[in-house]
Amino acid sequence: MNEPATIKVESRPKEPSRTPREWIRKNLFSNTPNTILTFIFGAISIYAIRELLGFILSGERRWGAVATNMRLLMAQGYPANQFVRVWFTLGCLMALSGLSLATWRASGRLSLGKISTWTMNLGGGLALFAILAPISWASRLGWIIAAALFLLVGLSMWFGLRDSEKRFSGSVPTVWFTYGFLGVLVLSLWTVPYGHYAFVDGELIAETGRTVAMSTKLPFTVMWLILVGSYLIGTQVRQWIPIGRTKAVLIGLWFLSPFVLNWIVLRDPDFDYAHIASTDIPLALMFAIGGGLVLYLLSKPDLGEIGRIVAIIFLIFAIFNWVAAFFGWYPMLQKVRISFVLLALAALVAPNFAADKKTRLRFVASWIGLIAVSHWLITAINSPSTLKLQGPTYLGGFSLTLFVAVLTLLLSFPLGVLLALGRTSTMPIARVLSTAYIESIRGVPLITILFFFSNILPLFLPEGMEIAELAAIVTGYTLFSAAYLAENVRGGLQSVMRGQYEAADAIGLTTSQRTGFIVIPQALRVSIPPLVGQAIGVFKETSLVAIVGAFDLLRIAAYVVPSQTEFLGVKREGLLLISVIYFIVAFSMSKYSQKLEERVGLGER
Amino acid sequence: MSAETAHTTRPDMIVCENVDKWFGDFQALKGVTATIAEQEVVVVLGPSGSGKSTWIRCINRLEAHEKGTIVVDGVELTNDLRNIEKIRSEVGMVFQQFNLFPHITVLDNVTLAPKWVRKMPKAEAENKAKELLEMVGIPEQASKYPGQLSGGQQQRVAIARALAMEPRIMLFDEPTSALDPEMIKEVLDVMRDLALGGMTMMVVTHEMGFAREVADRIFFLESGEIVEEGTPEHFFTNPTEDRTKLFLSQIL
Ligand SMILES: Nc1ncnc2c1ncn2[C@@H]1O[C@H](COP(=O)(O)OP(=O)(O)OP(=O)(O)O)[C@@H](O)[C@H]1O
Ligand SMILES: [Mg+2]
Repeated sequence: MNEPATIKVESRPKEPSRTPREWIRKNLFSNTPNTILTFIFGAISIYAIRELLGFILSGERRWGAVATNMRLLMAQGYPANQFVRVWFTLGCLMALSGLSLATWRASGRLSLGKISTWTMNLGGGLALFAILAPISWASRLGWIIAAALFLLVGLSMWFGLRDSEKRFSGSVPTVWFTYGFLGVLVLSLWTVPYGHYAFVDGELIAETGRTVAMSTKLPFTVMWLILVGSYLIGTQVRQWIPIGRTKAVLIGLWFLSPFVLNWIVLRDPDFDYAHIASTDIPLALMFAIGGGLVLYLLSKPDLGEIGRIVAIIFLIFAIFNWVAAFFGWYPMLQKVRISFVLLALAALVAPNFAADKKTRLRFVASWIGLIAVSHWLITAINSPSTLKLQGPTYLGGFSLTLFVAVLTLLLSFPLGVLLALGRTSTMPIARVLSTAYIESIRGVPLITILFFFSNILPLFLPEGMEIAELAAIVTGYTLFSAAYLAENVRGGLQSVMRGQYEAADAIGLTTSQRTGFIVIPQALRVSIPPLVGQAIGVFKETSLVAIVGAFDLLRIAAYVVPSQTEFLGVKREGLLLISVIYFIVAFSMSKYSQKLEERVGLGER
Repeated sequence: MSAETAHTTRPDMIVCENVDKWFGDFQALKGVTATIAEQEVVVVLGPSGSGKSTWIRCINRLEAHEKGTIVVDGVELTNDLRNIEKIRSEVGMVFQQFNLFPHITVLDNVTLAPKWVRKMPKAEAENKAKELLEMVGIPEQASKYPGQLSGGQQQRVAIARALAMEPRIMLFDEPTSALDPEMIKEVLDVMRDLALGGMTMMVVTHEMGFAREVADRIFFLESGEIVEEGTPEHFFTNPTEDRTKLFLSQIL
């Protein structure tokens, strides 16, 4: 047999692009019922858009309430003189995004045809706005001119860029298009006077004064520069450092970033240095050295059964510690309990590193790194914050929503996978425990769990075990969401064929290798749609944290802003704005999941 | 090499003694006793449901036998995980349904076990994998995903994947039964080369041509019992048992 050397698929002839007229004919007026539907639906949409624009532009609307309170909505009462922390956080995320885009090479390209269509759509949208919005004739004219301009540009691109076969050949990299678009947005901060507007007799009047939006123009410009700069750096790094290593480092940084940025940069812990020197550092050293030794021994080749038994004993001991904690039997630092869990898990995977000395030492080194990072984080979380805000958390508004959602998703993901594995495991204890956990959590409303973790749990915690405000919320939410996540993953696990297990066994993989390399990746791939659905749910339901006193986006828009003397009772504006914010985030997640599905679908068939 | 010489001069690789296996109340193997020498190629024949797969899967402990002993390359198969791990890295297996890992590339399929079980450095594992893919005749498919290959190509990848662990024994459970006729030959050719190269092989197949030409010995199984064993010549030309004759008359 002779196969071609590479997958050289002959470029499929592109479908000739249809003119808008043909498209409309085919999709909207193909037959009588379709035509009637089109007219009815068109009338309803026009009516709805008109009403919505009327609502938004009505003289009664006080959009100033939203614009003035934008800072509150985004970051609650985060002290203005500490805002550099917020920008630093955002900057770190931008840098990571830029580097990641370059590393995973966003090689996507946007065809010029698509861009011209978008331009025309924008022009059409503006025209619709100009016709339907209740504005004065003078400003209407302005909008119509703008619409005509966009339509003209779009049309000339459309007709100018096609070759003789009515196809588009040109394209631009998606990344640069996006950067350009964001750049224009940032530039507009410098030129357009966003902010406090009032409508007087259908005329747009800018109120005087420096607006929040304008006060952010410099930081946002820096953010944009960091994004583009880190992308450029990333493209250079590609050539010097093996791509696999960069990817591993970036994934690690992404995983750590919410913890470090949230609990250290934003929260600004007030470290108790005497305690750190007397307790924290010795403890960390003890675990690093003692645990390191144990793991070095456990990764001895040909240790066989004994290693597994020791690991299981560790695990039982670690679980027992937590049970003891709830009954207040053995007062010990939370950190010690967590470290024992980590040690037990490391002991379980130790046989995978049973090879030459170098591999074993590297394994021990990762252990020491893990202890250093986790102990440092726990210390930071348990130190009180220097920021004193209203409410139980140091974050509020959109930033709280975002951080609770991201942390919860990051943490509940591994926990959910573990629970799903437990529930499908052949070990009866694991199965019973996971099933009991999942079913009992699913039987309790989220609100109850949040209450329990933020108000009741601290009362029961033994001496020396404390739990910081936001940490309590995230812990409760994580435990809740993990149970649901586990059920979604379980569906995926069940779809993995028995032959896959057998093949993995036959080539000699250990159970944990089989699970990690073969079973979980295939299970997760199947579970992408329900998992994304759940992620969207987790994001939206963060609004429930208001129940324990935190000031999230919804609470600020619905209760805080309308209670300000200046904007008494102004509620609808804020609610409309946060609906748009929620929609944008949820919709992006949904879109991204479609992309993800397409990409991982490659090996399917 | 004939069965006799192979049997007498080479050390034993697989020794089964009175192996019994039950699925619930159903006894799938009944006192199976057989010895297979190093470099020997044996073919297992028998009607559907006779226990061929069960027997071959007991050899690398995908199924656990309940009675009797199985010793593979001097290691007895018991519940001791260490022995099982040892055996599995020395016994390669090829399945009827290929069972390639669909989510990783062909190259990763082949290098996975050497990298993680043998702890072979990545570059070395990849070089070896490319050699093996070359050997099975598909060096250019390394970066594709299994789903993008034909059945015959997939089965050859599966053979390469098993060989990557440098096994001393290869088990084949109907490796060509899920293939279209024109692809069967390409897989059988690879297996023939392997046999000529001195691999100890145990093959369940319905390809009588292959059995006649390549096998040193043939086992005929029915209802979980070895009814007859012998050289292909003996088996195909003058079988002694009536049940064997009946089976042969049905398939030939
Ligand atoms: N996991 C199982 N549970 C219960 N019974 C089983 C199981 N696996 C096999 N059997 C039974 O054991 C007997 C032997 O099965 P086996 O798969 O070994 O047959 P075979 O000779 O390979 O048949 P075929 O040629 O159809 O593959 C059959 O009757 C089958 O129904
Ligand atoms: Mg079978």
